[in-house]
Amino acid sequence: MTRFLLRRFLHMIPTVGGVLLITFILFNLVGGSPALMTLGDKATPLQLEEFDEVRGFNRPLLFGWRGPTRALPFTDFTQSLGPWSAWPEATLDSRGFLSLPGPATVELPLAFLLFPNATYELKVRYRSDQPVKVHHAMLPAASDWQVQTLRIEAGDTADERRIRMKVEGTRFELAEVDLFRRMDSPWHSQFTYYLRHLARLDFGVSHSANEPVIDLLKSGIVPTLLLATPILFGELLISVVFALICARYRNRWPDRLLLVLSVALMSVNYLVWIVAGQYLLAFKLGWFPVWGFESWHYLLLPVLIGTLHGLGSNIRFYRTVMLDEMYKDYVRTAFAKGAGEARVLFRHVLPNAMIPVITNVVLSLPFLYTGSLLLESFFGIPGLGYLSVNAIHSSDVDVVRAVVLIGSVLYVVANLIADLLYAWVDPRVRLS
Amino acid sequence: MSANETLPARKGVWSILWRGRLSRVCLLVVGFYTVVALAGEFHCAWHKIQDTLPTYQRQQLDQRFQPPGPGHWLGTDALGRDVGLRLVQGTRIAFRVGIITSLIAIPIGVLLGCLAGYFRGRVDDVIVWLYTTFASIPGLLFILAIAMVVGKGLLGIYLGIGLTTWVGVCRLIRAEVMKHRDRPYVQSARVLGLGHFRILFRHILPNVSHVIIVAFTLRFPASIGTEVFMSFLGIGVQGEPSWGIMINNARLRLWEGVWWEMTFVTLAVFFIVLAFNLLGDALRDALDPRLQATEEG
Repeated sequence: MTRFLLRRFLHMIPTVGGVLLITFILFNLVGGSPALMTLGDKATPLQLEEFDEVRGFNRPLLFGWRGPTRALPFTDFTQSLGPWSAWPEATLDSRGFLSLPGPATVELPLAFLLFPNATYELKVRYRSDQPVKVHHAMLPAASDWQVQTLRIEAGDTADERRIRMKVEGTRFELAEVDLFRRMDSPWHSQFTYYLRHLARLDFGVSHSANEPVIDLLKSGIVPTLLLATPILFGELLISVVFALICARYRNRWPDRLLLVLSVALMSVNYLVWIVAGQYLLAFKLGWFPVWGFESWHYLLLPVLIGTLHGLGSNIRFYRTVMLDEMYKDYVRTAFAKGAGEARVLFRHVLPNAMIPVITNVVLSLPFLYTGSLLLESFFGIPGLGYLSVNAIHSSDVDVVRAVVLIGSVLYVVANLIADLLYAWVDPRVRLS
Repeated sequence: MSANETLPARKGVWSILWRGRLSRVCLLVVGFYTVVALAGEFHCAWHKIQDTLPTYQRQQLDQRFQPPGPGHWLGTDALGRDVGLRLVQGTRIAFRVGIITSLIAIPIGVLLGCLAGYFRGRVDDVIVWLYTTFASIPGLLFILAIAMVVGKGLLGIYLGIGLTTWVGVCRLIRAEVMKHRDRPYVQSARVLGLGHFRILFRHILPNVSHVIIVAFTLRFPASIGTEVFMSFLGIGVQGEPSWGIMINNARLRLWEGVWWEMTFVTLAVFFIVLAFNLLGDALRDALDPRLQATEEG
């Protein structure tokens, strides 16, 4: 058993790694700029940069010295001067570069002051008849186009956080210019940042609620469990009973009727259940409160609707499970020795059918955590489902990522538990 | 012993479905919806070519909340738009989602499933790892997260559903291919010196293709359900009358006694999903009774 447990545990590692990788790819790579997604187009470059700084998005993706920065927006000198038109003397050459007559002292058109004590790299392609002083570094004279990369160390004071340029010659021409953030170590990447914070169980800060995500999750878990647990067990109880009835009357009218009913139940959209239930039972008949979360009364209707919704597919699943057992030899033997019907069904068939049933229940445990997105947002239950829907609406990347990640890890763990239970119940599994 | 060896030809499948009374009704329902969806597609394309405001978007504020009657058979909504015409557009969008997401998910699932089942070993390990990983991410949240990252709109729905639901198809195909790879016909093909890919895609794939049909009928209603849900939440279709958007609009009016929009949308969704669910069951019974309904919407 110990060996099986160990082996199974090792199997978990690549899956968890895969989940980490997929969430990383989804939010850091595919999403483009999470800052832009969350803050919208109207945010200033400084706001975006600060958002990225807090969440480590302004680092290289996997490995490297250079991270992006929004301080110096990209300008295509074949098209226009862009922000560089702030230099009164500068003109745009039609061959695609900026030309500045010297001598002059100018300041790079940064969108915001550089971050204090951060290191940047300035990469320029330029021509100059004399050396040019940039910040504390020097660009050597270059008669033909030359690419140079300078280190810029931003200081504490506002003055030290600007980039000044002192042109001493008569002409300075600039074809390309790029500013990067230089990392202290090439390992300071988005990926290691992500992993390091996860290892500390730090899921970041929710932008819309301005609270650490972990606090939001903690406050959401109780209402979610209060709602989801009765649904899970109610569904289980009712559908197992109905499945037993189906199995007992196989292909006769109770079975047929239940099958038709469950297909019909499956086909009703979840939304319709909720809208109709809320309208008829809560609003028209007034049996339940319509919206809110103040006492246990408020949970009755969502639990009822959630149970009804899952019933169709569950009955069908458990019916198959029961029928698989019904035709085994031991059932025939039990009947043959004269055991009553109820006794055979409940004492013989049910315990044997419990293995897939338990597996199914264990595997649906993680969904207790994610909660019901729809039920919670409709009935105003402040759980994790409600939280997730709101987070998706306001593009709150950190919250969505945390919920997705924890949900997946719980699923992997539930899988492990299901397998262990299985191995514990059925020794054959252990040996294979 | 295996049902696959005497697999009915493709034409046989249709005749089996047509012979059953219930499945014939379902086929007719699906056919009817397809015609409606095509009509909606033409209607939409026509207005696009003419560059006019589509009739299903035309607002007539003097005709708000008309109950079903001669002018508007299915009534009008809060802006005086015809519910019937909007329902047709909803059908169009639902079909688009059902078909395009299947076109994304099924090829991925079939390709990976074939490779994993046939080559086993390392290839299998990697593909199994990939789908176990995908399967362990909570489905709906994953879809919503992809849609959020891609951006609101139909593209987000297509990619969200398409890129997450290939897992089920892949699992089924892999299991089927594994059963076939050591069958005599495959061994003879190997002895003849045929290449792996030729054996896999010309010989094995046609024999497991029934899985694809069943997978499609299972996927279709599930995708429709997800689309309704996403559009309802406001992350789906923008500015077009999808069923989810219609339900969202109608639910507020329901409280004021405007029952028709809600009722008709509900029925429209119900019947197509029901027809596909029943058809899926019938197909599964006809083609391969051992395939289980493993996925739920």
